[in-house]
Amino acid sequence: MARVGVFICHCGSNIAGKVDVEAVARESASIPGVAYSSHNKYSCSEAGQKTIIDAIKENRLDRVVIGACSPKMHENTFRNTIRQAGLNPYMLEIANLREHVSWVTEDRDAATRKALDLVRSAVGKVAFAKPLTPGKVPVEKRALIIGGGIAGIQAALDIAGMGYEVVLVEREPSIGGRMAQLDKTFPTLDCSACILSPRMVDVAQNPNIRLLSYSEVESVGGYVGNFDVVIRKKARYVNESKCTGCLECVSKCPVRKIPNEFENGKAMRRAIYVPFAQSVPKVPVIDKNHCQYLLSPDPSTIEVKEGERKPRRRCGACKIVCGQDAIDFEQQDEFIKEKFGAIVLATGFNPFDHSKYGEYGAGRIPDVITALDFERMVNSSGPTEGKILRPSNGEKPQRVVFIQCVGSRDEAKGVPYCSRICCMFTAKQAILTREKLPDAEVFVFYMDIRAAGKGYEEFVRRAQMEYGAEYIRGRVSRVYESDGRLIVKAADTLAGLPVEMEADLVVLATGSVAREDAFELASAIGITTDSYGFISEVHPKLKPVEIPREGVFACGACLSPRDIPDTVATAGAVAAKVGILFSKDFLESDPMVAEIDPFKCAACGACVAVCPYSAITMEEFRGKKFAKVNEAMCQGCGTCTAACRPGAAQLKGQTDEQILRSVEAVLQW
Amino acid sequence: MVENPEFKVIGFFCNWCSYAGADLAGNMRLNYPADVRILRIPCTGRMDPLFALKALLEGADGVMVSG
Repeated sequence: MARVGVFICHCGSNIAGKVDVEAVARESASIPGVAYSSHNKYSCSEAGQKTIIDAIKENRLDRVVIGACSPKMHENTFRNTIRQAGLNPYMLEIANLREHVSWVTEDRDAATRKALDLVRSAVGKVAFAKPLTPGKVPVEKRALIIGGGIAGIQAALDIAGMGYEVVLVEREPSIGGRMAQLDKTFPTLDCSACILSPRMVDVAQNPNIRLLSYSEVESVGGYVGNFDVVIRKKARYVNESKCTGCLECVSKCPVRKIPNEFENGKAMRRAIYVPFAQSVPKVPVIDKNHCQYLLSPDPSTIEVKEGERKPRRRCGACKIVCGQDAIDFEQQDEFIKEKFGAIVLATGFNPFDHSKYGEYGAGRIPDVITALDFERMVNSSGPTEGKILRPSNGEKPQRVVFIQCVGSRDEAKGVPYCSRICCMFTAKQAILTREKLPDAEVFVFYMDIRAAGKGYEEFVRRAQMEYGAEYIRGRVSRVYESDGRLIVKAADTLAGLPVEMEADLVVLATGSVAREDAFELASAIGITTDSYGFISEVHPKLKPVEIPREGVFACGACLSPRDIPDTVATAGAVAAKVGILFSKDFLESDPMVAEIDPFKCAACGACVAVCPYSAITMEEFRGKKFAKVNEAMCQGCGTCTAACRPGAAQLKGQTDEQILRSVEAVLQW
Repeated sequence: MVENPEFKVIGFFCNWCSYAGADLAGNMRLNYPADVRILRIPCTGRMDPLFALKALLEGADGVMVSG
């Protein structure tokens, strides 16, 4: 016969204020199987825990029910307590007398009755508990980082710095991400490339980091400590080990008019290219959708009839000039399968697509540009070599108007949230405009200024006071062309007056949105996004970089819009979390997993079909088929147990018998 | 103790959503009738129809499954 000890916690007055704890403890003593019951002011306190330990020893208790707060609060605390008394930590049930009783019930008698029922139920369940032992799973101490922007770069360097191996996967031909596209950074006006490029080089040179650029993650299987990942290395048609980065091939490529994605389409690139001068790796890629060689058929496969001209020789200019014989038109996509212990998502964001704003020209008016266009324009290696010019006629603008909150804080056309960085980059761009064009006027239309950050408010004030940017609080209603200039119509909400002004260049502070394929990547990894497509963290305050799938972490703007300092900080946080995971050789797996009795198993396969985690497989031993659970993959949902007709599958700690007994016990009133 | 004046409703709540939701109701001090007794199950996938039948056979007035 089980010897159950029942301990009712007052939780100060939190429980005792509504529940007659003494009566519950007294009545509990007569529940079958209960050998001891008592009540305590604070069970979770050191003194309270000691009382429990002493009572277990003195009364030779072999299992325990604690009537206290939610098991989500202190189940682990009390498991540890009874472990100290020599019991198996899983011989414990918590009756939730605070969240589910005292805090939600008006009537004291009703609360007391309910509390006693929950204790009965817990006693019924724990009486049939069996000791459980956690399993041990080895940890593959290698991290996969998806995304090579500043977030992924920083996380890679930090994890590699701890001595662990890192594979950094970047879908573009070069790492660098959005930060590489920026000119200067607020609030210090550091040149973005000058602070980023050294880190990119560090990634390339770090012996612990393997960089897979122009690659994408295809699938993620497995579980924490043991993820099986398939990475597709897209054919670049250039042999990375032979290429020296001389870029002779690029200069000879005859296909010149392809919009350069890195320049936001505002400059042209060739069919063989590196995205930008500081690209890492500095190995070009052949764009198979534009390369003349790859698009034209092999002449040897074409039948030439009498009198017809022989087909032209295929291009191959790059191959001819390459002194290293690095061009390889036969290259195919390569699939790499590797094991990782942890996965870090650092997939970043996209700028909002302003084509939804018809009233601002929706991308049709050439002199209405986005903030990212402006970044490239003002950058000395950008399409205009750093000169701020009107795209329509190449002239210097006399008046530049910035419009904030394009996409952000606009539920009708964009997203309801604040993108957090636009107030700051607009102030920066206003300063840069005034620095480069001292004679030009700068106006900024804003809704509110959100400059919460170290040195941010001061920076915006500098833009206004020192650089003379005119800030007008109000929403712009329309931008249209008239006589070669732009007309900006707005309302000044402080003055309460309509505003209409001419401008030469309008810059839209487009907000940050999730990458359009973030949802697909999240589904491939088996995690969730919020309604905007940003990756959901476990807890926004206390677990800001942890993802509900254990062993997966995220940093940077794939979580929510954020600036570079916050991105770098979360990248460091991720590295610390990965370090904690990798500091252990083995992980303890939750013992509350399913097990299948092979003698009862009818090999019907129902459990295999319903398991959401693909943790059950069919095995065969000496001609008998049976289902088997991979304990490391099992998440303890118990779906197999409910589906199993012969009752062969049982979820440990939640067996049919335990649940049925707890139902029986709770209904004894 | 005196005869219970409440109904006997047994709730089978998923640990991750509804049980946590009931905890949240507690944290927010939202009062609700004391007629329900919530049992924690690891997932509604664990819910065997037998549990509901057992509750009704033992005299429950109602069964609530949430997840």
